Formats: sequence, C-alpha cells, structure tokens
Amino acid sequence: MSSAEQYSVEIANLWKKFGDFEAVKGISFKIKKGEIFGLLGPNGAGKTTILNMILGLLRPTNGKIIIEGRDNRNDGEEIKQMIGFMTQETVVDSYLTARDNLRIYARLYHIPEERIEQKVNHALQEAELTSFGDVAAGTFSGGMQRRLNLVKSMIQEPKILILDEPTTGLDIQSRVNMWAEIRRLNKQGITIILTTQYLEEADQLADRIAVIDHGVIQAIGTASELKKLVAKGNLLSITVKPEDVAKVIKLIKSKFGLELINKDGRLEVPIEDKYLEKLIKISEVLQKEKIEVLTISMHLPTMDDVFIKLTGASIRDTTGEQQANKNIAKIGGFRGR
Amino acid sequence: MGLIYDSMTIFKREMLIFKSNLRTNLIRSMMFPLIIIIFFGNLGNGVSNVPVAVANYANNPTSMQFLNTLESGGTLSIKAVTDEQTGLDMLRAGTVSALVVILPTFPKLQGGQPSVYIYYATSQFSESGVAIPFIDNAVSKYNDGVSSVQIQSDVNAVSTQGTSSSYRDFLIAGVILMSVAFGGVFGGGMSIIIDRQLGNIKSFLITPISKNAIVLGKLFSGTVQSTIYGILAIGLGLLLGGSIAMGPLGLVWILALVVFVAAAFSGIAIMLGSRIKTIEVYTIIAQTIVLPLWFLSGAFFPASSSPPLLQPFNVADPLTYATNGIRDVMLNGFFPLNHVILDFGVVIVFAILGIIVSFALFKNTIE
Repeated sequence: MSSAEQYSVEIANLWKKFGDFEAVKGISFKIKKGEIFGLLGPNGAGKTTILNMILGLLRPTNGKIIIEGRDNRNDGEEIKQMIGFMTQETVVDSYLTARDNLRIYARLYHIPEERIEQKVNHALQEAELTSFGDVAAGTFSGGMQRRLNLVKSMIQEPKILILDEPTTGLDIQSRVNMWAEIRRLNKQGITIILTTQYLEEADQLADRIAVIDHGVIQAIGTASELKKLVAKGNLLSITVKPEDVAKVIKLIKSKFGLELINKDGRLEVPIEDKYLEKLIKISEVLQKEKIEVLTISMHLPTMDDVFIKLTGASIRDTTGEQQANKNIAKIGGFRGR
Repeated sequence: MGLIYDSMTIFKREMLIFKSNLRTNLIRSMMFPLIIIIFFGNLGNGVSNVPVAVANYANNPTSMQFLNTLESGGTLSIKAVTDEQTGLDMLRAGTVSALVVILPTFPKLQGGQPSVYIYYATSQFSESGVAIPFIDNAVSKYNDGVSSVQIQSDVNAVSTQGTSSSYRDFLIAGVILMSVAFGGVFGGGMSIIIDRQLGNIKSFLITPISKNAIVLGKLFSGTVQSTIYGILAIGLGLLLGGSIAMGPLGLVWILALVVFVAAAFSGIAIMLGSRIKTIEVYTIIAQTIVLPLWFLSGAFFPASSSPPLLQPFNVADPLTYATNGIRDVMLNGFFPLNHVILDFGVVIVFAILGIIVSFALFKNTIE
C-alpha cells in the first residue's frame, strides 16, 4: 500500500514562525485514513497553528503537508474540498434560515446549482432539522445550532473533518451526543482530527493522540501506549494529613525502596507488579506507625497523569495558575518590607 | 468556478442578512436625514425685510431696474450707500446683513470678472441665507450670458451658482450624501468586523473561494445597500418639499454620483474593517473620518462661510465634488460640462482608490 492510500494527512518537519516566536518547531506525524486523531496540549501549545496550516489559512515557514496524497502548496482548492472544519464557536448566520445557511455554503463549495437543494435537504435530515428548515437559525437552541453547524461544515462531503474543541461549553448530555455523532461520522469512513482540552474526551474518542507542548510533539500513540509512558503497571496513590507527608515519604522509601512523588498533596508512585500484595503491606505499615491515611488507592494511569508527565502542567488553565502564583509572590514581597 | 460566482454568493448572503433586518436598517437610515431636514430645512423661511446695503457704481437704467427688483416683494430692505467701504463698515457693524456692489459695466462683465459682488456676514446666516439666493435670482433675470455674480463672505471670494433660493434644497444635497456615506461605513461595510468576531470570515476562508471574492461580494453589497439609503434620502427630501430644478433627468445624475460615493465608502469600510478588530474602535475611527469629510464638503452650510484655514480642506475633500454635483442638478437645474468632468472625475477616482486599498488590506489579513 502506498503512503497516499494509507494516510489521510502526512506532515513532515513542519515549522511556523511569527516574527521571532516559533509556534511550531519541526513537527512530523501521519494520520491514518479512517482514524480519529486527537491533538492534546495546553493553551498556546501550537495546536491551532497546526490546524490553521492544515486548513490552508496559514502558510508554513517550512515543511510539508500532504492531504490525501496532495501537496497543500499546489492543490489548494482540491484540498479545501476534502476538509471540513468546525470551530469551537458555533458559526451560523443567525438572521438566516437553516436552509439559507446551508445553501450559501453549498455554493461556496461550488456544488452545482441543480444539486444544491437535494444536498440541503439531506443535510437538514442529518441534523434532524427538516421541519425547521425555514426558521431563522438564531431562534434555535444551542444543540440545534451546533448540529446545523456540523452539517454545514460537511456540505461538500469531506474526507477529513477537523473539529476544534467540539464539545467545549456543551452540557454533559450534548457532549455525549456529540461524541456519538463523531463516532457515527467516523464509521462512515471520515478521518477525524480533533483538538480538545478534555482529557477524557481524547481518551474515549481518539484512536491515537499527539500530546503537543511548546510547538513540539511530546508523545504520540494510542491512549494505552501513552499511559504506559507514565507507569508500566499501576499507580499507587496515598493522601495523608499535610504534617505527615514528609514522614510517609521517608517511611515508604526505607521499608519498600519506593520513591513517592508529591503531587499537590497526593503521594504517588508507579508499581510494576504484585499490586494487591504491596497495597496491603503498605497499608499495614502505615497503620502500625499510627499515620492517619485519608485515602489509599491503586489505579491505572489516567490521561491526566500522562498530560502532567509530558507537559509538566495540568491542562486546566496553567497560565491562570501561574498568574495567580505571581500575584501571591507580589503580595508576599510587600508584606516583607 | 470564478471570482464573480463566488463574490455573488457572498453578495447574496449579505443581501439576505440585510433583508432579514430590513425594517431596522431602513428606519435607522431614515432617522437622521428626517430630523435634519425637518429641523434645519425651514431655516430662513418667513424672514423678511433683511437689511442690505447697495453700492451702485453703474447708475445706468439696467442697474436701477435691478435695484427695483431687489426691493420688490419686501424680502429685502435696500439701503443705498455711496461706496463699497461704507457698505463694508455697515456690514461689519451688523447694521446690514449683506452688501451688494454693482460695478460700472453692469450688466456686462468687468474685465472678465463678475459685475456684481455680494458680501455677507457669516454671523447672520439665516438672514444672509435668504438674501443671497434672492439677489442671485434677481441677477439671473439680467443674465444676458455675460453678467454673473460673485459672492464674498467678508473677504473670501467664491463663485456660486443657483436659481433655487431655498435652504432646504441646499441642505437636501448634503443629507443625501450623508445617508450614503454613513450607510457605507456603518451599514454593509462594518459587517466584516462582525463576521470576523463571529468566525464567519474564517469559515469563508477554508472554503475554496478567494479573499478577493469576499472583498468583491462585500463591496458590491455595501454599495447596493448605501445606494438604497441614498435613494431613500432623495425620496425623503422630495417628500419634505425639496425639488430638483433639472427635473426627472436630474435623478439619473444624482443617482450616478450616489453610486460612486457608496462604492468609495464601502471600500473605506472594508479597508478599516481589515485592520480594526472591534466595533467600538471602528465606530470611533469611522466617525472621525466621515464626519469631517461630510462637514467640510459644504453639506450643511456654504463652504465659503467656513474659516479660511479650512478652505483648502474643502477643496481636497472628495465629497465636496459630489455635493456640488448634486447641487448643480437640484438648485441650478443644469450640469455644466466642466463641472461634470471635475465632479465625476474626483468622485470616481475616490471610489477606485477606496476599492483598491480595500482589496490590498484585506489580502494581508489573516482570518
């Protein structure tokens, strides 16, 4: 099988500079046909820049992007016909009817006039909006608008669908529906690329995940492959009162030779084998030393663990946290004087 | 498929949005012209016995006849003075609102120059606003093809045309252009910022259409929408007692000028919209550009009555030529060839510049 038959997207040594700032630094990866591929990374990691280059909105400083066997430097129009894109925000013209919204995009995608109505009807059906075709989209509920947005993004029947944070801001019910929808589209053979800030979303949905930070791919693989990067076996996790933390770390080190790592008050260490036996023994030792154990557990690493290991940060608003820390430092400085 | 098809798709979308907000759009576009014409259009009506000094150096039968015409009807109250200086002193002292100087050669030209001069006090606008058209009109009765009048505000000389004596007609030309200019900048054109904020521009750009198609579609829809506002303002003006001295043919001339001004301001709107990210900033900058252009064009008051420092700006303001063009048609009843060339020339160049710059700036916009 040639690579064009096997891969939907092939990216080789992709760079993007904005002035002196290097947003993407020599990224290479391939996305298989029919795959759901997740791009995971904190804000400012370079995810959107990569998407914009795949979409043809940004010109790479260096590197190659091959979409369905076509170089995006030469075959702009053909590639644009093959990619559908749905942004984080719902983009529909709220003053226009659902039908007009779809008609406009059918024309922008150069669908022949005689086929437009049929396409529009089909799209309305897909979005379960048939009886709302002539109603202004602005009157729709959030979920209806989102469904209209999705079928609008796919009116040209793309081979690849790019979803930029498809479930951000949705309620749980709508999120589960969106996941089902993404899986359904994927089953029809559409390659899906999605960015997300929900780790469980990447975990549940994506066949493979690329973790991106500082414009570089930190790791790439299936969710279970990535989890193995954190620990081969399970993670032991203990929480105790703050005053006992140092004592517990020392105790476990001396008795079992295990280095507990303190993560925001949660003490963790990977255990490779004899999970139950070790868990019981450690519990007994802690009990004997009269240390009050708040929680003790043994679990498989989560995507959260993967993320923290690879990017050194929790995905949820790292910048906000850093800012908060800075402010605290400032206040401290004043007090000191 | 081509640029034209793509831009027509964008155009259709813009017009659908315009249509879905039709009532709001039309009411908004009519409010300002309506208020201005109603409040200011009657300025000068009912004014009579305006004191005017006359220095008659001609003293021939024609000039005496001319004086009789000026005195008839009770609009003016004529005070004969012996020389120009005495009259000017009275004008500055405020005892008269205008001074008419009749040169010895009247009604023939004096060495190629007008043989009648009018001075008026800018501070007495409502009175001189009545007196000047009246005198102008009187002069035209002696128009043998060589006599003409020159109006001076204190010391600044400008030539004038005009047979209609109503300030309302004078004002309507300015109001039509205001509707078009504001319509272009705040109507269709501003949509580019809203579209960017809502993510529509990005959605357009990932389709196979080019940036040029987006600009062209928006320019076209902006021009059509502003022209509609212009037509409404013309209708409103006529409804409120305005008249077009040239008759129905004049409408064609006015409409042509309106279309070019609409295109120019739609271009300006896209140009600004390509660079400005928020509506708040856009509104401030657009007003800073459009309001001075409009005021300096002599839309509200004769440009000759603005301070000498501002006169060069009046000459440089492209809207001046559109205003003059519409006034030729509405007040004068005809469109002299040299005016057609100058007025249309400037307005067309203005439109082309606006369009070219809008294409160039939007091309360099990411998203």
